[in-house]
Amino acid sequence: MALTFFRGLHTHSFLMYPSSFLSRKNGMLYCTMKSIRGQTETQEKSQHQLKVSTQTQSRKHDDIFKNFEAIIGIETHVQLSTLTKAFCSCPYNYGAQPNTSICPVCMGLPGALPVLSTKVIESAVKVGLALNCNLSLSSKFDRKQYFYPDLPKGYQISQFDIPIATGGYLDVDIPLEFGGGHRKFGITRVHMEEDAGKLLHTGNGSFSQVDLNRAGVPLLEIVSEPDMRTGIEAAEYAAELQRLVRYLGVSNGNMQEGSLRCDVNISIRPIGQLEFGTKVEIKNLNSFSSVSRAIDFEISRQALLHSQGQADQIVQETRLWEEGAQKTVTMRKKEGLADYRYFPEPDLPGVTLTEEYVDGIRCSLPELPEMKRRRYEGMGLNMQDVLFLTNDINVADFFDSAIAEGADVKLAANWIMGDIAAYMKNEKLSINEIQLNSHELVELISSIKGGTISGKIGKEVYTFLILFIIPLSSAIEHTFICCVVSKLILHLIIA
Amino acid sequence: MGPGPPTDGDSSSREPAIRAYSTNETSNYHQIKFITMAIRAALLLVRATPLQFSFNPKQALVLKQNNRNYAVKSSLEPPDVQRLAETARISLAPHEVEEFAPKIQQVIDWFGQLQAVDLQNVAPAIRADNEEETLRDDSPEIFENRDAILAAVPCYEDSYIKVPKVLNKE
Repeated sequence: MALTFFRGLHTHSFLMYPSSFLSRKNGMLYCTMKSIRGQTETQEKSQHQLKVSTQTQSRKHDDIFKNFEAIIGIETHVQLSTLTKAFCSCPYNYGAQPNTSICPVCMGLPGALPVLSTKVIESAVKVGLALNCNLSLSSKFDRKQYFYPDLPKGYQISQFDIPIATGGYLDVDIPLEFGGGHRKFGITRVHMEEDAGKLLHTGNGSFSQVDLNRAGVPLLEIVSEPDMRTGIEAAEYAAELQRLVRYLGVSNGNMQEGSLRCDVNISIRPIGQLEFGTKVEIKNLNSFSSVSRAIDFEISRQALLHSQGQADQIVQETRLWEEGAQKTVTMRKKEGLADYRYFPEPDLPGVTLTEEYVDGIRCSLPELPEMKRRRYEGMGLNMQDVLFLTNDINVADFFDSAIAEGADVKLAANWIMGDIAAYMKNEKLSINEIQLNSHELVELISSIKGGTISGKIGKEVYTFLILFIIPLSSAIEHTFICCVVSKLILHLIIA
Repeated sequence: MGPGPPTDGDSSSREPAIRAYSTNETSNYHQIKFITMAIRAALLLVRATPLQFSFNPKQALVLKQNNRNYAVKSSLEPPDVQRLAETARISLAPHEVEEFAPKIQQVIDWFGQLQAVDLQNVAPAIRADNEEETLRDDSPEIFENRDAILAAVPCYEDSYIKVPKVLNKE
């Protein structure tokens, strides 16, 4: 009984983006023109022509790149998964009918007053602690004032000069296929703010549409130090932030849903120069791979201008990443800095944290990804296994309970990363939803190890376990029966 | 991307501005607003340092009149009324800009009296605060009268609020 259907490939199904788009040869530097995705028939021809020319170009690019270093910082907005909005009790559900989750407060109607929810402070403190920040025991809210159709009040309640957390860092492990290694990226600040509504532009140019369901949803803005140097580092930083907020349970961190949004600030400077180059902001990044590709594109664009003596063409501006064309385009050049006329929000009291409160939250934090990775490494697992197992906190918990019951570390890891992961990918289930719990896995492993059943039979037993809710003994029975029957049939055919 | 303002800075892509009603009404309204804010700030100072704040009863009478020059001039720059009106999206005729500038300056100078207070021994507070905790639990409540809110929207079509297309695209 060939169970090749479930004999899955060793997949990195939980890595956020496939590694196929990157060529492994080039190491750190990638020429984005080599890896064009989303092809159409019309694009294929030009792609072929591009491939020929880019190979000579990529060598030139590598030469140019050698002389420059990129300084990259990322501003991330994390949408908190609280039940209510930040300053009113409206529920928030992604995908709800437009303008159904509204009230006078989030609509900015006259006389309505904001009231902060405890969950927002709790989430902010959790993230601040997880990012090793200094918490401001006294912080306040400020009004950031500007006019835009999706901003009902005409101002956004944010934190300007006294954010709730400052000065932290994030530990990141670069996956092996991108060079491996450990990095530590600084975090400048974390602060609380509210989201604006959604502005939709219709095809014909006369009007736009506003949906205020999202107005008032709490956000955490996490600003990094400009410590990243390549697109890969930036993408891994973002992936680690996503892992972190999922571990903490404060957000589902889906870039596609908009609960994790990244804006990249990038400048390049000749190696050895102390002062920074002109900073460019890139928006409209919808996945970690776009973050990486957009940065690579922007580095090459700026380096090219430098090498052609046109460095003054690089101006401080906001550019949009176009996924289809795989390039950044200018949005509108900034004419001076925006004046947000910040002043302390008079309708909200200050946010005061006590030491006991902070300590309480610190004690309740789960084991963070960085700690888990170090612990698994200590158990003797290789980096690839470690990265896979720690990517999803539920998978790590499954693994941990199996280990706690005495299962062999390497065997448990192999089962989870191989067959179980493949099954989950095929059936689109999470590890909590499959019919196999960690206890059964432990029993299976010990049966194989103890010699009750062979490894080959073990695989087939596993199939029964994962498909049906039956105890291990029945699964073994069924396997033997099937084995016997199939052998009988084989005999009959041959004989 | 986080919620962001349109990144344009020029005035050509302005959305419809509010016309100032009349000279007298707006200046009174502004003055009243500034006065209440000043009283709030003054009360805080009084609570914090009862000994250091010296209140001149004679000045209290003077405050009620409009056309006084105050001894303590504000150290802020004179108001750029044109820019203030632009950022507040209030359209002003040129003669109104000229009229408003000295009136706004007067109100700022009136506030400027606070600068005479000696703050040597006062610890800076980040904001004026009350004692009570004002936080809310994370329990959802659907607002009862959403229909009334939507009925008051000037242009509501296909479940969306219809607005003029702002030039800056995202």
